[in-house]
Amino acid sequence: MKKKILLMLCSFVVIYLVNFTIPRLMPGDPFDYQSAAAGEESSTEMTEELKEYLRSYYGLDKPFFAQLWENVKSNLRGDLGYSIHYKQAVSSLLLERLPWTAFIMVSALVLSLILGIALALLGLRRKKLEGSLYALLSLLGELPHFLLGILLLFLVAARVDWIPLSGAATAFGVYYSEWDWIKDVLLHAMLPIAALSLATIPGFYFTARASFLGILERPYVLAARAKGLKEGRIRRHYIFRNALPPIVARFFLSVGSAIGGTMLVENVFAYPGLGTVMREAVKYRDYPLIQGVFLLSTVLVLLSLFAADMINALSDGKRGGSL
Amino acid sequence: MKRIILIALALLLLTLLFAWGALFYPMDAKLPSGASLEAPSGEHWLGTDNLGIDIFAQISGGFFHSMSIGLSTAVIAFLLGGALGVAAGYAGGRVDMLVEFLINLFLSVPQLPIMIVIGAFFGQSSLNIICIIAAFSWAPIAKQVRARTMSLRKTRYLILARSYGGGLWYLFKTHMSRDIMPLLAISSIAVTGRAIVQESSLAFLGLSDPLAKSWGLMIARCTAFKGIYFTEFWKWWLLPPVFSLVISALLLRLLTRALESYWLEKE
Repeated sequence: MKKKILLMLCSFVVIYLVNFTIPRLMPGDPFDYQSAAAGEESSTEMTEELKEYLRSYYGLDKPFFAQLWENVKSNLRGDLGYSIHYKQAVSSLLLERLPWTAFIMVSALVLSLILGIALALLGLRRKKLEGSLYALLSLLGELPHFLLGILLLFLVAARVDWIPLSGAATAFGVYYSEWDWIKDVLLHAMLPIAALSLATIPGFYFTARASFLGILERPYVLAARAKGLKEGRIRRHYIFRNALPPIVARFFLSVGSAIGGTMLVENVFAYPGLGTVMREAVKYRDYPLIQGVFLLSTVLVLLSLFAADMINALSDGKRGGSL
Repeated sequence: MKRIILIALALLLLTLLFAWGALFYPMDAKLPSGASLEAPSGEHWLGTDNLGIDIFAQISGGFFHSMSIGLSTAVIAFLLGGALGVAAGYAGGRVDMLVEFLINLFLSVPQLPIMIVIGAFFGQSSLNIICIIAAFSWAPIAKQVRARTMSLRKTRYLILARSYGGGLWYLFKTHMSRDIMPLLAISSIAVTGRAIVQESSLAFLGLSDPLAKSWGLMIARCTAFKGIYFTEFWKWWLLPPVFSLVISALLLRLLTRALESYWLEKE
């Protein structure tokens, strides 16, 4: 366990350093660009003195490690820099957008967790169905998130009147009650969540299936049957409970790919989460914002990987190597 | 075996179709050849896009663009993953620890966000896209190869060959490649398929070479067209790149699966 924590911290440090170093590897600095990229007819040429002044104002003339130290200090205070495009502190922008991303990502993961387990159980009961289910889901698992989103958008949202095409809520909507607002938000989130879930169900299905098959072969299941316990009890207490840890671990392991998928799907549906912010940031080369989104998603992914490790360790500990 | 041949044939057919489209189809993939947004006809098989450029010609060009990105990525991942995996599994000790750390690091970083970061900073050329995708494809390969090499290292014939003084390259060539090469080849084909999908995802976000007509870029341009949902245009502008992408990715995936099961059976 200690090794895992150490590994995670090391990964974080390396990623942090890379994130910090990349922009400083680029030739030139922001002030070389400013003169030409202002978008005006007459390009303003900065004098050397002015450039020097700006560099020292932003601390860019300091040695690399001094800059790094300043950066760490300000990040620890929760200051991630200032977005050039949105003209707003990166941290407050991220806090504004994170709930939307988290909302659709977590709902999609929970939904596909439940559906994945249900399909796996269904497959175990009906062997005939399982073959086609397996084939169908392994094909589905290969489709990229954003294509599923686009297909849903064009084939479903554009055909059905009451399904909105984009956004997270009706623009300038007037709500007469909380319930109205919730309904509107859910309606807008429906298709993004559906696209994400379709892409993640296969993973859960395969994990759940393998886990159930592994448990069914265990001697204690046979022993329980031999004791004449009721089938429902065996299923619930002997099979389901023991099969659960790897499936729950899978939930946390899939956060990494789900974050990427959510970012893409958000762009398909113009959903106002981190993904759309990231795309805007890329479009306008808003570097502090790009780095902020990346740092935030890395922290989220590392934490969830850690949670998966904890679950695995705990469930191993429970079994206690007694076998 | 039969399945492998069938899938390979399907891939070959697809390649031939698009090769014909790129070489002999009369329309140009870069220049307008008709009115804007024409419906499919005998002249323009799949119609034209908003600039009047023929869609079938674009799709054909996109196939070779995507495939070359996929294959180059696979080659880099093959070399990198194979070399690091064998080295770590064979050498053990410090080297192994370092490689294991690198593998875990690359597996734990959220892929799409870091690809966006690197892509945004290093500019949009096909070469950069290849390097970025390859950098995040070698880790799973190295992990598998490393595990395999570690188990091979304990076999008696390898211990014997080593005690006679065989070097790493000799040992790999004569004793290990038979077990490791199929594994490497199969995972590289899988990488090809995944790279195509990842390239289109990056292109969709506006991060691939804006001059190369890739499928992802076509999809991005079509979905960015205002009011496209309320028209008929998407039927011939959006669906062809989407289906070409899906079909190519699926065929490569099926090929991987068929090869995998064939190899397992043989063992």
